[in-house]
Amino acid sequence: MDRWFLIAATLLAAVGGALGMISVHRGKRTQWTVAWVAAAFLCQIGFLSVRGEWRAACPLMDRGEILAFLAWSLTLFYLWVGPAYRISLLGVFTAPLVVIFQSLALIPGTLTANPLKIVGSNPWHETHSAMSVLSYGALALAAVAGIMFLVLDRQLKEQHLKSGLFRNLPPVRELLVSLERLLRLGTSLLTLGIIAGFLMPRAESAWGHLIAAMVVWLSYAALLAVKQIRGLTGRRLSLSAVILFVLSLAVFAFV
Amino acid sequence: MELLCLGLNHRTAPVEVRERFAVSNNRLGEASHELLALADASEGVVISTCNRTEFYLAAHGAEEAFKRIEIRLTEKIQLDSSVANHFYRKAKTEAARHLCRVVSGLDSMMLGETEIFGQVKQAYHSALEAGATGTILNKVFQRAFGVGKKVRTETSIQEGSTSVGSVAVDLAEKIFGHLKNSEVMILGAGEMSRVTAQSLVSRGAKSIFVTNRSLDRAQELANEMGGTAIPFDDWQSVMERVDVVISSTGAPHAIVQRADVEKIRRARKYRPLFFIDIAVPRDIDPAVGEIEEVYLYDIDTLEQLAEEARGRRQLQIEQCERIIELELEKLNLPGT
Repeated sequence: MDRWFLIAATLLAAVGGALGMISVHRGKRTQWTVAWVAAAFLCQIGFLSVRGEWRAACPLMDRGEILAFLAWSLTLFYLWVGPAYRISLLGVFTAPLVVIFQSLALIPGTLTANPLKIVGSNPWHETHSAMSVLSYGALALAAVAGIMFLVLDRQLKEQHLKSGLFRNLPPVRELLVSLERLLRLGTSLLTLGIIAGFLMPRAESAWGHLIAAMVVWLSYAALLAVKQIRGLTGRRLSLSAVILFVLSLAVFAFV
Repeated sequence: MELLCLGLNHRTAPVEVRERFAVSNNRLGEASHELLALADASEGVVISTCNRTEFYLAAHGAEEAFKRIEIRLTEKIQLDSSVANHFYRKAKTEAARHLCRVVSGLDSMMLGETEIFGQVKQAYHSALEAGATGTILNKVFQRAFGVGKKVRTETSIQEGSTSVGSVAVDLAEKIFGHLKNSEVMILGAGEMSRVTAQSLVSRGAKSIFVTNRSLDRAQELANEMGGTAIPFDDWQSVMERVDVVISSTGAPHAIVQRADVEKIRRARKYRPLFFIDIAVPRDIDPAVGEIEEVYLYDIDTLEQLAEEARGRRQLQIEQCERIIELELEKLNLPGT
């Protein structure tokens, strides 16, 4: 049952993204991407509810659950930020990332087939997990906005102004403002996650994970500080957001 | 005596070539007079805009006259004779038709633009005052102005973003979104600057700074736009705060160098900066466009956007061409 919810969410996001791309290629902007992604979001909630019931806790116990929760968090922030700030095409760029995360979660062996109920779960532990993965959703969306900026920047620099993609991408300044807001939000949530991490009971082996989280937090905090104090070009801010996100995902995959 | 036209424009010559043939507005009369000697012609008018330089003549023997002027011009400007490949040559009715198309905005980069009408009128008056025109060119130009007016009143060729100003503003909005939070600096208070500034104001630009070698002229334009005039020597300090710089001076060399922009990057906190260089010769060193947060567009690159507008107006063009043909048949112009 849980896998079917995740498969449906993946297919809905894939169809929404593909239709959005076709529409952009034809030089038009579709309003339907947000509807497809919203439908995918409902299926993600279905998946997390079923897993949460089985676990009797926040479903963040295996790699598959973490990837699915990350996809849900990314979708949540897209649905919050995209329509509210009228950032066109954010859905078209977000959908592929959602599909990638969920497809990875669906690889056999990634999701525990018969998850065990968690006995005596600690609230600080759950807060740490939930806040950390939520922060990654915001930071993933920041990376998506960064990619959108890099695409638009390249088109403006090379003066390729005739494509449907160029016509439909939001203005440079709006992308950069959204990118910075998402970085701030993601870093704030990560701060809460790390504080909860220090307060939760942990085994000796958890120190590596906490140190990795601290390094990620420091990197994002340093990026925001440099942006605030010295200033950064849009290209460097976007590249940093993308590289930091990819690196931090890689760190957590192995630590 | 035949009516002749020798010229180059944005379609036949790149900006690097066009800027070598560019003539400043205050030299148009003098250049028209010099043209008489260069081509052994009895009448001459020189038109020079951002997109074109054209020589209209009344002379005997089209072939010989074209050869003479091409050789003497390339010698005078010290260019290789291969530059002649960028020229187009038109004689008699074809020359008159071309002038009508130019005046009507049909030959412009921004199809249907209105600035060209005033620019040709100014060029003609400069030649008239310099005593370089006579029966043939006086009649041809005056008739062409009549045809231009008719085209504009009887068709909708002027509608839409076909002026450099409105296309520039479209690009500014692609970078900054609503212009209500954007500050703009205009370098050079010429006609193109005025048109561009008007478009920016109409789309809500927060504030406009105007600078010009003549502060009076800058003040005049600033008053018209509700902006602020600044002395020409202060443009670098003002560039620290603005988002858009539109440059259209008549300077014979680049005014904004890469080093000027590098100096202010830190103070600007590396915010995006949009340069629109609508001057020929160019005011902004192309190396400025290599700076990460800078978007630089010169007059040639704006053509990409003009092409889109051109497509939408294809039907209008056919109607305009019909008007020009009917008027030319009726007019029975001398020298054609």
